[in-house]
Amino acid sequence: MLTLLKLIQSIIKTLHSEGTPGQVAAGMAIGSVLGLTPLLNFHNLVIFSLVVLLNVSFGGAMLGWALFVPLGFLLDPVFHAVGLQLLQAPSLRPLWTAMTNTPLVPYTNFNNTVVLGSFVGWLVLAVPIFFAARYGVARYRATIGERVRRSRFYKAITASQAYNWYRMFRPN
Amino acid sequence: MRIKIFRWKAIGPLLVLFTILAVLVVIFAEPIAKDTTEEAGTELLGTQVDIGKLDLHPREAAVNLSRLQIADPFALTQNLLEADDIRLKLNPEALAEKKLVIERLSLSGMRFGTERKTPARRVEGGGFAPKILQAVDQWTKKFDVPLLSLTPIDTIRQLALDPTQLTTIREAEALLARTDSTRKALDQGFQQLNISGTLDSARALVQRLSSADPKKLGLDGTRQAIQSVEETLRQIDAAKKRLEALERNTRTGIQLLGQGTQLLDQARQKDFAFAKSLLKLPSFSAPDIGSAFFGKVSIERFKEALYWAELAQQYMPPGLLPRPAAGPQRLRAAGATLEFPKEKEFPRFLLEQGHLDFSIGGTSAAQGAYQATVRGLTSTPTLYGRPAAIKASRRAAGSAIAEIDVDATIDHVTARTRDAATARLRGIKLPSFDIPGIPFRVVPGTGTSSLDFTMLGGGAQLSGRWAIHSQQVSWAVDTAGRSMNDIERLVWRVVSGLKELEVVAELSGSVGSPKLSVSSNLDKAIAQRLQAVMGEEVARAERLVRAKVDSLVSDKVEPVKRQIASVQAEATKRVESERQRLDQVEQQLQAELKRLTGGLVPGFELPKIKP
Repeated sequence: MLTLLKLIQSIIKTLHSEGTPGQVAAGMAIGSVLGLTPLLNFHNLVIFSLVVLLNVSFGGAMLGWALFVPLGFLLDPVFHAVGLQLLQAPSLRPLWTAMTNTPLVPYTNFNNTVVLGSFVGWLVLAVPIFFAARYGVARYRATIGERVRRSRFYKAITASQAYNWYRMFRPN
Repeated sequence: MRIKIFRWKAIGPLLVLFTILAVLVVIFAEPIAKDTTEEAGTELLGTQVDIGKLDLHPREAAVNLSRLQIADPFALTQNLLEADDIRLKLNPEALAEKKLVIERLSLSGMRFGTERKTPARRVEGGGFAPKILQAVDQWTKKFDVPLLSLTPIDTIRQLALDPTQLTTIREAEALLARTDSTRKALDQGFQQLNISGTLDSARALVQRLSSADPKKLGLDGTRQAIQSVEETLRQIDAAKKRLEALERNTRTGIQLLGQGTQLLDQARQKDFAFAKSLLKLPSFSAPDIGSAFFGKVSIERFKEALYWAELAQQYMPPGLLPRPAAGPQRLRAAGATLEFPKEKEFPRFLLEQGHLDFSIGGTSAAQGAYQATVRGLTSTPTLYGRPAAIKASRRAAGSAIAEIDVDATIDHVTARTRDAATARLRGIKLPSFDIPGIPFRVVPGTGTSSLDFTMLGGGAQLSGRWAIHSQQVSWAVDTAGRSMNDIERLVWRVVSGLKELEVVAELSGSVGSPKLSVSSNLDKAIAQRLQAVMGEEVARAERLVRAKVDSLVSDKVEPVKRQIASVQAEATKRVESERQRLDQVEQQLQAELKRLTGGLVPGFELPKIKP
C-alpha cells in the first residue's frame, strides 16, 4: 500500500514538476533501464549517477523505474533469448572475449544472457519511451494538469517533507 | 531559455551516497562474502560447506578462512575435510577481471574424516552436484550383485509353486491357440485349392475321350479333343502349383509350431531356475560368493571415486569454446552466464599452487606429519595447458591411520580426458561392514587398503581396483535372537577360522555399462565346504524342483505337442493325397492325349485342313 502511495506521489509530482516534458521524458527513458535490467549490476550504478548528475527529471527516472519493473520481469524470457543469441553469435565472439579479459568490465555481468538482453532491449526501447513520455506529459499538462494542481490531494502531497527532498533534484 | 545539461549541485549528495555505499561494503563485505562462499561451495561440491570466519585483506589481495568444514556427501555425520586456517593469496590483476587466481594456498590444522557436531544437510535442488549424486546412486544399481542365501536345509524339501507363475504354462496355452489357428488356416488353404473341381472335370474328360474313337472324330473333333486335354492338363498343372504353395506354407507353419515347442523347452528351463530361486539354494560358485560378500562395499568405494571424477568433468571441461552456465540466483530470471576463455589470459578459476606441510604432535587421532600439494586446479585446463595434480600424504605411526598416500591427476587439457586417482592407506583401522543377506559382520581390524581409479573420455572407459588386506580379521554374528541354521553354521565355521582377509574388487567397462568382479581368499574356501557338505542335498533339491515343475507343466505341454504332431501329420497326408489324385488323372490324360495324337509329341499342332 505504501509503495503504491509512493508511486502515486511520484507520478503526481513528476507530472507537475517544473521540468519540461522533454526533461521528464528523458528521466523516464533513462530510469526505465533500472526496471528493465536486473538491478544489482554495475551499469545501474552508472545509470543512477547519470540520473542524479544530468539535468533530467529525477522523479521521471523513478517513475520510469517503477513502471518498467513489472515489464522487466515479464520480458525476462525474451531478454534471455536475445542475450543468448548475441553471446553465441560467432561474429561477436572476439568482442565478448576482449570484454571478458578487460579489467572491471566483467563486473557489469554483460556475459549473462538476461543482463545483456535486457540492456540491449532498453537501448532499443529508450528512444520510443522518450518520445511517448514526452507526448504524454505534454498532453497531460495541456488537459487536466491544472485542475489536478488545484486539488487538495495535490496540495497534501506537495506539502509533505519528502517533497522538500525531492525539490533538490528538481530540474532547473 | 537554455537548459543546463549537468546538475552540479547533485555531486555532493552523490558523493555522500557513494561514501555510504563504501561504508556498507566495508561493514557487510565479509559476512556477505562468507555466506556467498558457503553457498557457492555447497552448490559446487554438492555437500555442505561451513566457514567459521572469513577475513578480507584487500591491500594484500588475500583472504583468510577459519574453521572450514566440508561434509562428506556419502556420510553426512562426518567431515570429508576440516581445516582450522586457510590463507588464499589472490592475483589482483585477475581479480580486476573477475577471475579467481589463487597464487598460494596454505592450510593449517587439517583433519580428515572427523565427526560433525550436527549432521550435514543433504544438498537438494537442481544443481549439478546433487544431480551427480543421484546419478551415481543410480549407477550403483547397474551392478548385478548376487545375494548369498544360506537357507535352512529343512525348507529345501518344501516347494509351493503357483502354476500361474510358470512361463511354460503361459507359453503352452499361447502355442495351443497358435496350433488351432494354424489348423484352421490349413483347412481354408485346402478349400481354396479347389482341386476337386479340377479333378472332376479332368475325370469327365478322360471318361469322354476313352469312349471316343479318333477316326470317327475327324480332324476338327480330334483337334478340339486335344485342345481340351491340353487345357485340362494346364489346369492340373496350376492346381499342382497351388498345392506346392500350400505345402510350403504348411511347412512354414509347422516349423513355427516346432520352434514354439523349442521355446517351451527353454521356458521350462527358466521355470526350473525360477523354482530353484524360490528354494534359495546356496551358490557354490566362488565368484558369486566373492561378489555377494564384498560386492556392495566395493561398489561404494568406486561410487565415491566416480562422483569426484564426474564433478571434475563438469567444472574442468576441455577446450576454449564459450560455455554457458546457470546465472546468479536473484528475483529476476537467472538466465545463463557464458565464459569466453582466451589464450594467454587468466582462466576464471585457477589454483596455481597449494602447499601444505605441517605436523601435529601429541597422541590425538590427528597427530602426524602432513604434506599435500595441489597444482593447476583450474576451470579451463586447456588454457593452463597442464593436468591438475593433487598429492597428499600423512605419516603417523600408532594412530588410526598410519600412512596415507593420495595421488590424483585430472587431465582435461584435450578432449581425451583422463581422471586418475590412487590412494594407499597402510596401518589403517579398516571399517567393519555387514555381509548383505546373511547375519555376519566383518571386522577387518588394522590392515592396508588401496584404491586405483581411472576414467577415460568422460566415462567411456572405466577401470578401477579396490583392495583390502588384513591379518587381524575377526567376525561377528548377529542372528537377532534366533539360532543359526545348518548352512550358516557351516559358513560361520569357515569364516570364523580365517584370520587373514584379502579382497580385490576390479571395475571395468564404461559408466553406462560397468562390470565388477570381486575375489577374496574366502570364496574358494566357502565354495568348497558348501559343495562338500551341501552338494548332495542341493542336488536332491534340484531334482525335486525339476519333478515339481515337470508335473505342473506336463499336463499343458504334452497335449500341445500332440496337437502339433497331429496337425503336421494331417497336413502332410492331405497334401500327399491331393498330389496323388492329381498325378493319377494327369497320367490318364497324358495317355488319352497320346492315343488321340497317335504317338505324336503332345503340343504338336496338326495342320489345318481347309474345307
